[in-house]
Amino acid sequence: MTEKSMKLIDLKEGQKGIIISISGGRNVIQRLTDMGLTPGTEIKMLRNGPLCPVEISVRGFNLVLGNGLAAKILVKVKE
Amino acid sequence: MKKITIALAGNANVGKSVIFNRLTGLHQHIGNWPGKTVEKAEGTLFHIDYTIDIIDLPGIYSLSTFSMEELISRDYIAKEKPDVVINVVDATNLERNLYFTLQLLELGRPMIIALNQMDLIKKKSMRIDIKKLQNFLGVPVVPLIATQGKGIHDLVHEAVELAKGEYEKPKIEYGKEVEKEIQKLIKSLNKIKLDYPQRFLAIKLLEGDEEIKKLVEEVDQNIIKIVEKHAKKIECFHGHDRSTVIASERYKIANEIAKDCVSLGPSRVKFSDKLDEITTHGVWGYLIMIFSVVTLFFIIFTFGNFFSDILVGSLMSLHSIFEQYFGTGIASNLVWGVVEGLIAGITIVLPYILPFYIILGLLEDSGYLSRIAFLMDRFMHKIGLHGKAFIPLMLGYGCNVPACLGCRIMETKRERLIAIFVTTLIPCAAVTTVILGLVGKYVGLNWALSLYVIDLIIVFILGRIAFKVFPGEPTELIMEMNDYRMPDLKTVAKQAWFRIKDFIYIAFPLIIVCSFIIKVLDVTNLSETIENLMKPITVDWLGLPDFSGIALIAGIPRKELTLIMLASHGGTTNFGAILTPVQMIVFSLVTMLYIPCIATIAALIKEIDWKKAMFITVFEIVFAILVGGVAFRLLTL
Repeated sequence: MTEKSMKLIDLKEGQKGIIISISGGRNVIQRLTDMGLTPGTEIKMLRNGPLCPVEISVRGFNLVLGNGLAAKILVKVKE
Repeated sequence: MKKITIALAGNANVGKSVIFNRLTGLHQHIGNWPGKTVEKAEGTLFHIDYTIDIIDLPGIYSLSTFSMEELISRDYIAKEKPDVVINVVDATNLERNLYFTLQLLELGRPMIIALNQMDLIKKKSMRIDIKKLQNFLGVPVVPLIATQGKGIHDLVHEAVELAKGEYEKPKIEYGKEVEKEIQKLIKSLNKIKLDYPQRFLAIKLLEGDEEIKKLVEEVDQNIIKIVEKHAKKIECFHGHDRSTVIASERYKIANEIAKDCVSLGPSRVKFSDKLDEITTHGVWGYLIMIFSVVTLFFIIFTFGNFFSDILVGSLMSLHSIFEQYFGTGIASNLVWGVVEGLIAGITIVLPYILPFYIILGLLEDSGYLSRIAFLMDRFMHKIGLHGKAFIPLMLGYGCNVPACLGCRIMETKRERLIAIFVTTLIPCAAVTTVILGLVGKYVGLNWALSLYVIDLIIVFILGRIAFKVFPGEPTELIMEMNDYRMPDLKTVAKQAWFRIKDFIYIAFPLIIVCSFIIKVLDVTNLSETIENLMKPITVDWLGLPDFSGIALIAGIPRKELTLIMLASHGGTTNFGAILTPVQMIVFSLVTMLYIPCIATIAALIKEIDWKKAMFITVFEIVFAILVGGVAFRLLTL
């Protein structure tokens, strides 16, 4: 199994990843971790179109994230 | 009669307001938290020999200090100490809901879990072991299907029992390392007496919560150093910053409980998934969105127009009856001015705003507005907002007043301000009647539609400028995407009523007072003086006839009055005879932009401060006159 890290926003639809870290200010980190995006959590990219924000599945629910936020989250890709 | 207080707390979209409505029925009072622009819903329930006050706290995901709502909620529970806290939990989304539950438990009040949406559990062929859940959490768990009223009675019963009896605080422990530091810190806090329980204080201090830190510092400055030592330890051990560590710990517990209590059935593709797929699609999604928005407007305004005509006709026929009784003197004329104001308000609310808000409410409750927020996010970013700002903008097409209040969904002050500003530029139902009654009828529907397009372009440009002018980083969208569902009619009706109530309470009195003043101006012939004073602007700059001056002034209380005044001062309702097409377009354009009506100004003062409200008002007047003059010159080239 090969593993590489990339930004959440670079995941393709259907791809899974595990959150490594979130960069950003206190508020950003607090908001994201409150929604369950803590390091070690598995997420799946559901939608990542050119015109829209991204939609991921995390902890059994679907979450929409602005593109700027999705670029702040570093994930390890599961293949 | 014994009195108890219950607070409802939970995530957004878990059916909290449905439960609140079920519990309190018509005994409700919606206001604001003192000094805050956050809605406070209170209600009363009479149960056997109990009077139960129920407070519906805002829907939130955490008890940190990220938003005003979170701060208000935790302060309320800690300081007011409600007898029972009912934590409404979405059964289909246990893990994330439990994250919030764990924080609520830390506040130490007697608690019940209302496990809602049990019908969806069956539908999704999931199963939840309620006994197990109860054992894990150490508090009663009541299964509910709130939309059908199932379980409500049990919930009340449990709450009363809990309020009567002794409450044993459940013990839920964090991971070993973190728990060790928490325990040590609690010992150091033994001299601190605040409204919050010691364990809550200790955890919040470890998390780096600024508010709690300030409170503790006021009592004992040395504590902070001790906190720092413990926090460093957990950061060292876990390799992440302190708030992330604590959040991870809570989620770990939530995950373990959820895994143990919930068994998933076979997953299958549902109809709602397919609907979701197509309505968020890169091409189809936008087409469907445009189609549904256009259809919505078309239905509302054709239906509204038809209904409004009938309503105006029948209400105005009261005039002759009125004159029979009160004569045609000045006094009676003035009183009729007030009645007319009332009628005008009604003929805007009933035919246009009410149906508009009901349909919008249905779209909102079904989950479609979240999809629109998703589709519009990128676009809204260009004006420094995120996708959710699209919702108040839509409300603006009905009435700007509830739309301004609707801007509360924006997270930061800065975003609220920008959202409110662009919302006031949206043509409301009253403006639409002017545009359709003037340009639509006499110049052509294409021109009327172009005015809307021009308006959107203006919104975009001014929004972008506002975004650049006001300092600060834009907040990004974080939004839960729920499955589509059948909207709950009661909730929708209630929501529509509350939005319209904003309009009635703020706008109606102002409309009536101002209609009266305008009538006075009219009766005393002061209006001519005003028209003459306004000539340099109306005639020279905008190229409008002189009688348009008073009509534009009349738009300050309510925009549709401009049309009525135009008719009475122009001497005919056949506007084709008194205005050229260019004049109609310029007039409509100015009416659309020149001032948020007096009710909107009042809403602005309520939501932001009066200085900013005045700035927006003056700016929009100047801007509208500017645009009107330029349009006049371009159109007569």
